[in-house]
Amino acid sequence: MLKKLTELEYGERGIIHSMGENIKPKLCGMGIRDGKLIRMDTKQPIKGPVVITVDQSTTSLGFGLAQQIFIEVKK
Amino acid sequence: MKILLMGHPNVGKSAVFNRLTGANITESNYPGTTVDYTVGYTFIEDQEYEIIDVPGTFSTEPKDEAEQVALDLLANNPDATVISILDATKIERGLYLAFEIMEKGFPLVIALNMWDDAESHNIKIDVEKLEEILQVPVVPTVAISGKGISKLAHKVTQATPTDTKELKKRIENL
Repeated sequence: MLKKLTELEYGERGIIHSMGENIKPKLCGMGIRDGKLIRMDTKQPIKGPVVITVDQSTTSLGFGLAQQIFIEVKK
Repeated sequence: MKILLMGHPNVGKSAVFNRLTGANITESNYPGTTVDYTVGYTFIEDQEYEIIDVPGTFSTEPKDEAEQVALDLLANNPDATVISILDATKIERGLYLAFEIMEKGFPLVIALNMWDDAESHNIKIDVEKLEEILQVPVVPTVAISGKGISKLAHKVTQATPTDTKELKKRIENL
């Protein structure tokens, strides 16, 4: 099932399926790329940032960025 | 001769800089503060080197002022050798920047910093294999204790530009 990163549950994992072309250059350097395993650690209400972990690095992403990242999750 | 120290934020660039030059600097990068770089000098094998501590950057696509400073330093020092400093516990994401610098034609040496931290997390890195694939010197370092720094300095004298087309082939054949 495909979900936006902002729609993931707390602690839910998935594989990065795709993301907006315009945000790719920004995120690739941080190791956030298609095909990577990603975990949503926490998110803030009212369109707040989303905290994620890819490999061993934890990063927070703005809501606008997070909304453009699509995650393939099981079930 | 110039050496640029490059890497992501918080990988220990300034710690390596302090070790190489004997200086004692502390950098800070908060929004609103001026982002600057530090220059120091050292002798490696009787040759004087100017070492520049470049602000941390994730890629060669500038996103903020600090990254712009980093990219300007690269552009203004086309003859420099780059020491690409990676956090040994997160090498995959650090290699992205290292590749981008190689693509720009700079001779590169890779320092796998925080090697002790990687060991304590049971992360095993085959340094020889990595050197074989990348064809650039790779040196494990622990900048805060000084481990590997003299080896790193000597490897700088051996750095050569990488043929990234050949590199790509080697990676595809893995």
